[in-house]
Parts: sequence; C-alpha cells; structure tokens
Amino acid sequence: MNCNMKKLISIFTILISTLVFTACVNDLDVTPKDPDVIMAGNLNDNPEYMKQVLGKIYASFIIAGQGANGGADISASDENFFTTMRALWNLQEITTDEAICGWGDIGIADLNTQTWSPSNPFLTAVYQRLGLSITYANDFIALTKDNTDADVMQYNAEARFLRALAYYWFMDLFGNPPFTTEEDGVGNFYPEQIQRAQLFDYVVTELNEIEDLLPDAGQGNYPQADKGAVWMLLARIYLNAEVYTGTPHWDDCKTYCDLVINSGAYSLATDYRQNFSADNHYPTNPEMIFAWEQDGINTQGAVGTTFIIQSSSDPEYIDAEVYHDLPSNPNWNGNRARKNFMNILVDTLATYGGPIDLTDKEFSSVEDGRVFLKMKQTIDIPSPSSSGNYGIGVYKFTARNHDGSRPANYNSEFACTDFPIFRLADAYLMRAEALFNLNDVPNAVIDINRIRERAYGSTDGNITASDLDAQFILDERAREFYYEAQRRTDLIRFGQYTDGDYHWQWKGGVYEGAATSNHLNLFPIPGDEVSANNYITQNNGY
Amino acid sequence: MRIIRKNLKVVLFLVAMLSFSLSYAQVKTVTGKVTDADNGEPLPGVTIVVKGTTNGTITNFDGDYSIDVEEGETLSFSFIGYTAQEVVVDASNVLNLQLAQSVESLEEVVVIGYGQVKKEDATGSVTAVSAEDFNKGNITSPQDLLVGKASGVVITSAGGAPGAGATIRIRGGSSLNASNDPLIIIDGIPIDNNDVSGSSNFLAFVNPNDIESMSILKDASATAIYGSRASNGVIIITTKKGKAGRPLQVNYDMKTSVSSPIKYIDVYSGDELRQIANSRPELYSKETYDLLWNANTNWQDEIFRTSVSQDHNLSVSGSMADIPYRASVGYSNQNGILKNTYMKRLTGSISIDPTLLDGSLKVNLNVKGMTTDNNFGDTGAIGSAIEMDPTKPVYDDSAIAQQNSGGYFQWENYNASLGVPNPVERLMQADNKSDVNRVVANAQFNYSIPFVSGLKANLNLATDYSKGEGYNNRPVISPGNISENRTGKLNDYDATNKNNLLEFYLNYVKDFESIKSKIDLTGGYSWQHFEREGSSFTRSLIDDSQIDVNSSYITENYLVSFFGRLNYSLANKYLLTFTLRNDGSSRFAGDNQWGLFPSAAFAWKISDENFLKNIDFVSNLKLRLGWGVTGQQDIGNDYPAQATYITSSPGSYYMIDGEYIPTLRPNAYDPDIKWEETTTQNIGLDFGFMGDKIIGSVDVYKRETKDLLNTVTVPTGSNFSNTLLTNVGSLENKGIEVSLEWHAIAKEDMGLNFGFNVSYNDNKITKLLLNDDPDYIGILYGDGITGVKQVTRVGYPAYSFFVNRQIYYPDGTPVEGLYEDISGAGGTVNGDNNDKYIYHNPVADVLMGFSASFRYKNLDVSASMRASIGNYVYNQIAAGASFDQMYQIGYWKNMSKYLEDSQFVKRQFTSDYFVSNASFLKLDNISAGYTFDAMQGKMVPRISFTVQNVFTITDYEGLDPEVPGGIDNNFYPRPRTYMLGLGFTF
Repeated sequence: MNCNMKKLISIFTILISTLVFTACVNDLDVTPKDPDVIMAGNLNDNPEYMKQVLGKIYASFIIAGQGANGGADISASDENFFTTMRALWNLQEITTDEAICGWGDIGIADLNTQTWSPSNPFLTAVYQRLGLSITYANDFIALTKDNTDADVMQYNAEARFLRALAYYWFMDLFGNPPFTTEEDGVGNFYPEQIQRAQLFDYVVTELNEIEDLLPDAGQGNYPQADKGAVWMLLARIYLNAEVYTGTPHWDDCKTYCDLVINSGAYSLATDYRQNFSADNHYPTNPEMIFAWEQDGINTQGAVGTTFIIQSSSDPEYIDAEVYHDLPSNPNWNGNRARKNFMNILVDTLATYGGPIDLTDKEFSSVEDGRVFLKMKQTIDIPSPSSSGNYGIGVYKFTARNHDGSRPANYNSEFACTDFPIFRLADAYLMRAEALFNLNDVPNAVIDINRIRERAYGSTDGNITASDLDAQFILDERAREFYYEAQRRTDLIRFGQYTDGDYHWQWKGGVYEGAATSNHLNLFPIPGDEVSANNYITQNNGY
Repeated sequence: MRIIRKNLKVVLFLVAMLSFSLSYAQVKTVTGKVTDADNGEPLPGVTIVVKGTTNGTITNFDGDYSIDVEEGETLSFSFIGYTAQEVVVDASNVLNLQLAQSVESLEEVVVIGYGQVKKEDATGSVTAVSAEDFNKGNITSPQDLLVGKASGVVITSAGGAPGAGATIRIRGGSSLNASNDPLIIIDGIPIDNNDVSGSSNFLAFVNPNDIESMSILKDASATAIYGSRASNGVIIITTKKGKAGRPLQVNYDMKTSVSSPIKYIDVYSGDELRQIANSRPELYSKETYDLLWNANTNWQDEIFRTSVSQDHNLSVSGSMADIPYRASVGYSNQNGILKNTYMKRLTGSISIDPTLLDGSLKVNLNVKGMTTDNNFGDTGAIGSAIEMDPTKPVYDDSAIAQQNSGGYFQWENYNASLGVPNPVERLMQADNKSDVNRVVANAQFNYSIPFVSGLKANLNLATDYSKGEGYNNRPVISPGNISENRTGKLNDYDATNKNNLLEFYLNYVKDFESIKSKIDLTGGYSWQHFEREGSSFTRSLIDDSQIDVNSSYITENYLVSFFGRLNYSLANKYLLTFTLRNDGSSRFAGDNQWGLFPSAAFAWKISDENFLKNIDFVSNLKLRLGWGVTGQQDIGNDYPAQATYITSSPGSYYMIDGEYIPTLRPNAYDPDIKWEETTTQNIGLDFGFMGDKIIGSVDVYKRETKDLLNTVTVPTGSNFSNTLLTNVGSLENKGIEVSLEWHAIAKEDMGLNFGFNVSYNDNKITKLLLNDDPDYIGILYGDGITGVKQVTRVGYPAYSFFVNRQIYYPDGTPVEGLYEDISGAGGTVNGDNNDKYIYHNPVADVLMGFSASFRYKNLDVSASMRASIGNYVYNQIAAGASFDQMYQIGYWKNMSKYLEDSQFVKRQFTSDYFVSNASFLKLDNISAGYTFDAMQGKMVPRISFTVQNVFTITDYEGLDPEVPGGIDNNFYPRPRTYMLGLGFTF
C-alpha cells in the first residue's frame, strides 16, 4: 500500500511537472476575452468595423466616450465638461458679449473675464481632444489607405475632412498645434509644431484633395460630411484668412459660398427656430449642411445642445421642462447673455421708440424672429460670478421639434437637437461679407436681406446699401449665429475681441468692460502640453 | 511569520515511538509533580494528555497530578510559556518532570517564502506578530490586528463602516500608479488583492480569531523570492491548526460591543442660520430669508446612532486518529453607527494535517469560507447632513411632499432641484446591499523523498473563488439629484474573481560537518491564473425611454515563475542567502514579458563569537546586510501593451450610413510597457540583552524604484488618449526602523511586557517625465469643483499638498482671497497653479507604536497606543464653508462652523489655511480580562472588557486626524466602542 502510494505520488509529480512546464509559458500570450474588445489586427474581419471606427471620429467631437463600456476618451475631472464642443462653445461664447457663466468651476471665471492662464481646463480639454480626434483620424486613414472598396475610400475621405476640421479649430484657437498625419504611428514620440500659415495651406490642400472623393452636396448620408461640408469649411477658412495668414482671400471665400448656394441642395428653413430644434437635421431641415448628431436615445450626454439648453435654463425664468420639455437633470442656471449683446439683437429704438421697456420681459414687441431672450432679475450682471438669475436669458436651442411636438427618440434628459456647424445662412452671410470687402455692396445687401426676410417673416427688416457697413455685418452675424460657437472668431476678424473699441460688461474683469491685451486673440498652449513635449513653443504673450 | 514551537528531537522520537505503540496494554496509575526547571517551584495548571487519546488531566496547585495510563504510551506535558515535553511511560509509577520556560529565540521558526528558517538564522528584515500581541477589541478584519504593531507598517482603515477595509503600506509606497499593497499570502496562497464588487475588504474572509500569526517581510532579501509582486513587502498569515497529540479542545467566545460616534462636525443651528441670513443683507435678500423655516434640526443626530454589535466564535481542535484538525465557525453581526448600515458575516474554516507514509508525506488541507451580507446604506448622507438646512424638518406635511417625496422634506418641491437632498431620506431609502461569498482552499503536500536524505518535494494546489452580488436601488420618491432624475433607480451588479495556483518546489538540506557548513537549497516554479469578470445593470423605475446602462467586463492574467534560494551557513555564525526569481507576466509583451529578480543577504551572529560569548549582558546580537531587486506588475490593466479597440455601449452610438451604430475606439496603449523595478538595500541589527529580557532590532534601508509606472500627459497627437500609463519615473524611500520589547517581569503569576516601535520614512520622487523638464509642474490632483490641491513633483514626496500661500491680518485671521504672488506674474493668484507651492504631505514622517501588557494571576490588562508625527490633512469640510454658498440658486445650505474662524464669503479651496498638521497620539484600545480557574472539571471561563478608540490627542480640528489619503471629506467616522467578551475553553 505504502509502496503503491509512493509510486502514485512519483507519477503524479512527474505528470504535473511536465504538464506545467510546457503549458505555462504559452499561458503568457493572452488576448482580451471581452467580446467588446477588438484586437487591432482583427479590424479587417468585419466590414462593420470600418463604419464603427469612422463613427468614433465623428463622435469624438460631440460626446465624451464609449459610455459604460470604455468610459471617457480622455482622463479629466468631468467627462462631459471637457468634451470638444462643450469646451469649445465656452471658449467661443463666454469670452464674449454673447454669454457669461455663473458657475464656480475652476476656469470658468477666467474665461468670463478674458483672464485665462495656460492651465485653464477648458482650453486644455479642447486642445487635447482636437488632437485626439486627429489621432483617431490618422489611425483610420492609415488603416484604410490602400483599401479599394468604394465605401471605405469615401470613409477615408470623411476622416480626412474631420481631421481638417479639427486642424481648422486648432488654427483658429491656438494657432500652432503639434502636427501629425497618418504617417506618424502611435507610441512614445514628440510631434513637432506647425506654424499657423503652413497649417492654413495644409488644410486647404487636404480639403481640395478630398472634395471629389465625397458625395455631392446633399447626397451624403447625413450627418456625414459631403461636398457641401467641404465647401463650407473652405469658405470659413478663407473668410478668416487674413487673421490666419495676413492675406485676405475674399474671392476664394465667395467662390465656395457660391458653390454651396448654387448647388441647389439647401434652402433656408422657413422657421429660423428649426435650426435649433430636435428636427434640425437634413433634409427635414433643408438648411443644415453639417452638424454633430445628437439623439435622445442613441447619442447621449450632458454635452452639445443638451448642455447649451440646460446651462441656459433655470427654475425661475427659463424652466427647461416648460421651455424645452427636458425635465430630467434640468436647469443648471449658468449661461446667459450680457446686456451688450441684447442691444445688438434688440433694436430698442425701432421697437420701443426709446430705451428698453423693462416690463416687456420676453421682448414680445420685437419683430426680429431670432429673439429667444428673456430678461432675468436684472439686465445688468452684478459680478462675474453672479448666479444665472442675472442678465439676459437665452432659450434659442430647444429639445422640442420646431412645431413644439416631441421628437421620435425623445428622452427627458438628453436633447435630440443636432449641434449645427454649417448651415446655409452662414453661406449667405459669409458671401455678403466677402462681397462687401470686394466692394460689391448691392449684392451683399441682397444676401443679407435674404437672411433678414426670413428673420422678420417680411421685408420689414430689410436694409439698404446705406445701412451696410462692417459693423452691421458683424452685428448681423451675432443676431443670426448667437450661441452657435462663432462669436469669438467673428470678433477677432473685426478687431473687436480684445484691444478694439468694443467692451462688454465684465470684459477684462471690469464692470463696464475694458480693453484687454491682443495676445489673447490666441489661446495659450496648455501647460500640460508644454511639459509633455519639448518641441512646443508657447504662444506670444503667455 | 509563523512561529512553530517545535522540538525536532521529540518529534522524531515520537515518530519512532509510533511504530512500537502496538505492543503492551497494561493500565496503571502514574503520579508525579511538575516543577519549574529554573526555580523548582511547582507548576499548577499544566495540561497532561495521553498522546493519541482524549484522556488527560491538569496539575493541581501543588503541581501534582495523577493519570491512568498504559506502559509505553506517551504523556505530553504542556503549559503556556514553557516548552512542552513528551515522555514515554516506563515501568515506573512516578514521573516527576521539570518544564523549562521557553526561550523563544532558540525555537522560533520563521515561515519565509517557500519554506521556513529558524528565526536566529533569518537573514532578512522580518517582523513577526503572533496572536498574543494582536490588537484587542471589536476586530473584524485581519488588518486591524496589526495596527501599530510593527515598525514600518502603516495601516489606515477606510473609516468606521462595518467591515471596512484598510490600506497597508510597508516602508512607504514603491509605486505611484501601480498598486502599493503588499503581497498577502495566507497559508501558502498568494491572495488576489482585488476586491469583488460588493465587498469592502478583500481580507474579510479570514476570521481574525483564526489567525495564529502574521509576519511581515520587509526587505528585498526576504521578499525577492516573490519577485514581481514583492516590491511593497509581503505579509504571510498563518492560521491556527490542530496539534498532534492534543485532546479535544473547544473554544467559544462571544463579544458584545456598543459603538457610538465620538463627535459631530460643528455646524450652525437653525436659529444661528436665521440670524446669519438676517444680518447680512448684502449677501442674502429678503426673499431668500423667506425660504428659511423655523425648525432646528440636528441632521447629524438624525443619521447617526449608537449601535450594538455581536461576534461569536466557536472552534474545535484536537487530534483524531493521529490526524490533527481544527474547525471553526465565526459569526459577526456588526451594526454601523450610521443608520441603515451593517455587516453580517459567517466564516468557517477547516484544517486537517495528516501525516502519511511513515511520516514522509505531510499533507495540509485548508478550507476557508465566508459569506457576508453588507448593507452599505448611503454614506453620501454624511455630507448631506452637514450641508442640509437646519431650519427644515425631516418630514414635510405639505401635499406636494406627500405626493412626490414620501413625506420627506425635499428642496426640489420648492423649486430648487439642486438643493441638498434630505439626509434622512437619502440614508433610509437607500437599498444598497450586497452578498459576498468566498472560498479559499488549498492542499499542500510535503514529501521527503526516500533514499536521498534531506531532499523534500513540496506541491501546493490552491484555489480562491469569490463572488459578489449586490444592488443599489433608489425609490421614485428620492430627489432628482441623487437618483436619476426622479425616476428611481434599480442597479444590480455581480462579480466573480477566480485565482488558481500551482506551485512545486524541491528543497535539499545538507550538513557538511567537516567544513562546518550547511546548505539549504530550494528551487521550484509557480503558476498562477487570475480571472475577474462582472456585470452591472442600471435602469430607472419609470420607463420613459431612458437607456438602460448595462455593462460587463472579463479579464485575466497569468504569472509564471521559476525561483530558487540558497542558504549557506558557516560555523553557524555566518549566514548567506541568495535568491533568484524569473517571473513571466501575461500583462507585458515581447521582451518585456520576463523579468529577473535577484537578491543576496548576509548575516553575522556576532553574539556567537567568542569575544561576546562570555558577556552575559548580551544574549543575542546579529548583523544583517541585504540587497535585492523586486518588481511590480499589478498595474490595474491586464492588456496595457496591446493595440485594441473598444465598442461603445448604447447611448454612445453615432449615425453612419443612416443607422445608429456602436463606435469602435482605439485605446491608448504602450507597446513597450514593462515592470517597475525596486532595488532595496537594508542593514539591520537584531539584539537581545539580559537573557533576552530586552530584545529588538534596528533597520536602515534605502529603496529605489526605477521604470516607475506613471500616468503622464502624452504629447498631443502621439497616442489615443491625453494620458498614458508608461515607465517614466523613479522614486526613492529611505528610512529607519527600531523595534524594542522589554519583558520587564516574567514570573509565574505576574508578567509585564512593553513593546515599542518607531519608524521614519522619507519618500522622494526623483524622476517623472520621459524628458526632464525642469519647469514641469508635476502630476496634479484635484477636481473641477475644488481645483488642484496636491502634486507629485520631482524632489518632493508623492501627493504633496499644492496650495496658495494665505496672507493673514495682524490678528492672525486670513485675508480672504489674498495670497502671495509666488510666480510674481501678477493677475489672478487664487487657484493659479503657477502661484501655488508645495506645503507638506499626507504621510507621517515618524510613526510610533506602543503596547503594554500586564498580568497578575488570573487578571490581564493590555493597551496599545500609536503616534503619528508630521502627517498633514487638507480639511475639505472647512474649505467648503463660505457665506455665499449658504444661499445658492434657490436653496439654503448649512456650513461647518470652521467658517466662524475664516469668515470667508467665497470658498477658498486652494488656500494653505486649510492644510493642517494632523499629528496625533491615539490610545487605540485598552483591555482587561480575567480568566477564572477551571470550573466543573475542565471548563475555563474568561471575561474581558475592551474600549476601542479611547482617546486621540491632536491639534487637528476635524473629526479624526487619521484620514485616508489626507483629504478630509466626510468619510464614515470611526466610532468609540465598548466591548464585553465572554469566553469558555474546555
């Protein structure tokens, strides 16, 4: 018995030893078991994967990440705060007369008063997230470079469009970003900085190259980019060319606006408000050329238009449930417009025949149909950190359809309203500005009146050539595009963002507003980036 | 470390005896007297057992005994504090015996990695804490047994929640982003430190009453045999076992404890809040005053309570048919001082240790099981209770509150949806429970290979399975800001962790007497597989097309290792140890998959040298020198080196080609990621004076970690996120540790012992970035609301506080919002990282532990105390208090009365004013017990009384200066506990 057991043990020992020694080393080569995780080498296994990787590049601009599965794309103290469009909206709006935010979060006050530093979390987020969208695009472009499938070739061109769009924002906000293309891999390396003028050339070249690879205007699968989106981006870049390169390109701007307008693919929505309602997508809304998709069920987040709506709502004056049918997690009460902007949108002399009528809280006497404003406790804002109860409430964006009905994918917390990037009205106003600068005032007036007729529902608001000057164009853009993340760019183009003559309440941290240094026309490169990459040189003045 | 009182000769003799034990069978009565070998005094209470039977007796007051026994049988004599003896009954009818007091250093055996060594031969820095030295009181987790007991070991409980876990740090952390937890080995099984969901303490499955000893391996020469998991030290826990030849022993004890909050955060009363609202019209308008009601609710009183808990333990041990066994059952019902929180735990353990094949095969079988019911409540209520408006009652009679909020007062019924949720509703309506089960089992075979003297084979097979299931639900009446928008919440989750181990090693011991040398050689390999999976499902109670959140994960990793150790001793005075481990981890790829971890140690038993042998004062003196390299691979991600894409969950889709589809995101990865490597040097001196009346040790060490894994901001454009975990930095820990024990009185009916330990550790970051940027501000920690308050920067300790320097009025009160412009750049100083400076850190410079025990006859008293010097705390409760926050967007909020000192109108989160020295002295527990003389035969009753958390002396103004992580922000307060224990042994 003992002998047998000894034998048994010896055999057992030998068996175990052999088994383990051979098996163990191979065990170290594991691959993820999670069915939601796809190995990079397997991306070609399923054509759906190509669409899904492309979808990520789009989504990276508007939502925080992969939801419960993979979490946020970047590590940040609040994933929704620091999504691209939400943070970019802050940079473009609350640093201007169009908005001010009453929240105490780090970085908000600095933006309100144009006193930011390189550590501001909002500009850090925009910088890092734009770079991330570019890196996603580079990866996909490299992955699909040699693919000859017609669909994939189009996806590849779309990725190049999205990369160009991200570089455009980089150029506009920061000037000189780190530059990478599909030639650069992924790992531990230090991208080099590109100068603003070179970046301008790169983006233009890219857009020209992909133009023919994309569907015709209006023929793309909304919300994916088509030729219309490419033209609008080119027009926008040429519109600001003087800021970016020192040389204006009004002809080129006009050329691409013409292509958009003459394509016949788009027309102005009858109701201005439709552009900011749940049914603002193309072709239901024929004006929308390119927008970020948002959906109550499928593309959710406290981001984009949901953020614009809730941050501008409050329980007392603009209740999100009443105004926008968004009762869940409502009324964040942060953003509202400053008095100076109200004076641009509300023609008090024409409306009231004198100073503003403080009893007309909802500006119901105003004829311009673009006024979605409401007076709060006082028009003036007593301090930059005053609560959202002071100032001019804005409820331009809504989660309802433009006729007040509920959208199909309604959700009580997340709006279905897409975030507009390019709409036809912009093509008209950009062309008007180009024509004005090319001294074709009569045609500029025609384009502007097209917009104003829609706004007034009549010709009552029409202007004549004598009314038209540069200031009018800037103001008309504010009236048309307020809260659409364009204001800062426009003010810079007209020299009024920092050291010009126009000072709005709390600009520079002063109640009546004060001039600020013109180095603020560019945001600083985030301190995190300067530390992480030796090739990066900080912008002048910071 | 496991201390086995072991007398090899007796065991061998016994084994020999066994073969003869079948011969005669002639019963007779043997009588005799048992005396102390030192002074000849009689020893009462000595247990005498006929080996292999349950037949036994004890000596009377005169040391006399009488027992019926057969010739040839073995009598075993045992008495606490004395070396047990076994004597074979010969023809004589009288058997007098002298028992010698145990001289521990000669017999103690230290369990080290893959083997054991006599304590006097240990070459590494090892601290042993055995059952008699453990902390007393209402202790439910093994970590608590060790608090303050070992130098260089910091154990900080997560708070006062029932069953809460604790973090253990040995000699400071060696990592930043990777785990800083020590490797914990229980009865030979390396335990998975990752808790399953629903569990708050990964060690909860071990009933503290089952633990025989814990030993802490601190320096690399002791730990390096565990290679890649040993950088933060190793703790080996040995549980109690049955002992060969012992009669059946049954132990039962029960403890009843009463816990209550020590103090509350001082907040304004309703009257005071109304007074403030009325007196500051510049801040609060008339309309806002009207929102105040007339109650005076003490919200903290409403959520805390005095709770009663119970703990029962029953163990049975003995030896049946020569097979030692022990079985135990423990039941603990802990009620938290926060209402609606409890932990109910049932643990069981069985160990059986048969010896087969004429003693050549020793088998240890261990099974431990646990089932726990947790009720976590909602600890968010603690913060809400501080902030909730005291002018409001708990319940609101209004129709809207009855309809919407179940009768609780809620601000959202009064147009303030962001108002502080009612703490009572928040706590009492939370349905947050979990059920955790865990089984850990192993079978260890130790086989002396025949024909090769000194060669043994050891096989250890183990499995560790835990499963947690739980839910965290909220009713529809809960306010929108704690439950998804007034739709209620149903959240279920479950998780399973599996850990399987196979280890095999050979051990060869040989004496070369001719050259006075002895070698002890061990070589083996180890294979361990960890797998974790789980899922979570959240949905609202009201179906309004909210997307359900459904997530799951599954992940695994393997560790495969080869290891070896050589112990060489020359003349029993000079000891050398070499170890080597080659670890392979599935977490890394390519050339980085394998890592080599060597160590070497030398010890010199100076007291055995002739020049010291005759100096009676010095009973022991040993010098230890050690060097070793250990690693760290527990980095929280099983696939950090692989290029992968992750699918988005519903709600995070995008529309492509007309359909909403999930997206695929490339994940950030580092193809070159590898182990962290920590090199430790240690010099130690063990000493014993006056016949080991005073024993102790001094250790000096330096630990350098290179290839430190750090989550750094990556250059934009270089990877698929803004941050990446990669090997970039290095850090250094230097320290000194002293421990002392003084056995002041060691007499039969009186004993007095003192223990003291002190340790100093200095942690410094030496490198953090891929490229060395001298202007690099460091890794910043904070959040969007309160800003950056901590930094890890080169040249400073990790997690140092990073704050603005407050400027004060001449009377010492702070000037609100005024800080020194450190950068000199002007502009906004408040909150600007360029104007912040490093101001202390949360980790103590010096830690001390004191313990004292006294026994006189049947009475025993013991106490443990701890001091922590130089630990700083950021008081976030104080920093959150400001007058402008009292009234906010539609609701009133209470504040801590720290505001009386600061008088801040706005919150000043980044002021150094809120960073305080939180050095403390704590009397952790004091305990008295009385063991009655044996009653009715053999039953020995014992009664004890313990007070836990007796007092704290500190300048820190918050509730408790001992704050996990150094940010004091409403953690579950540790209660004071009074405990009565009753025990019976028979």
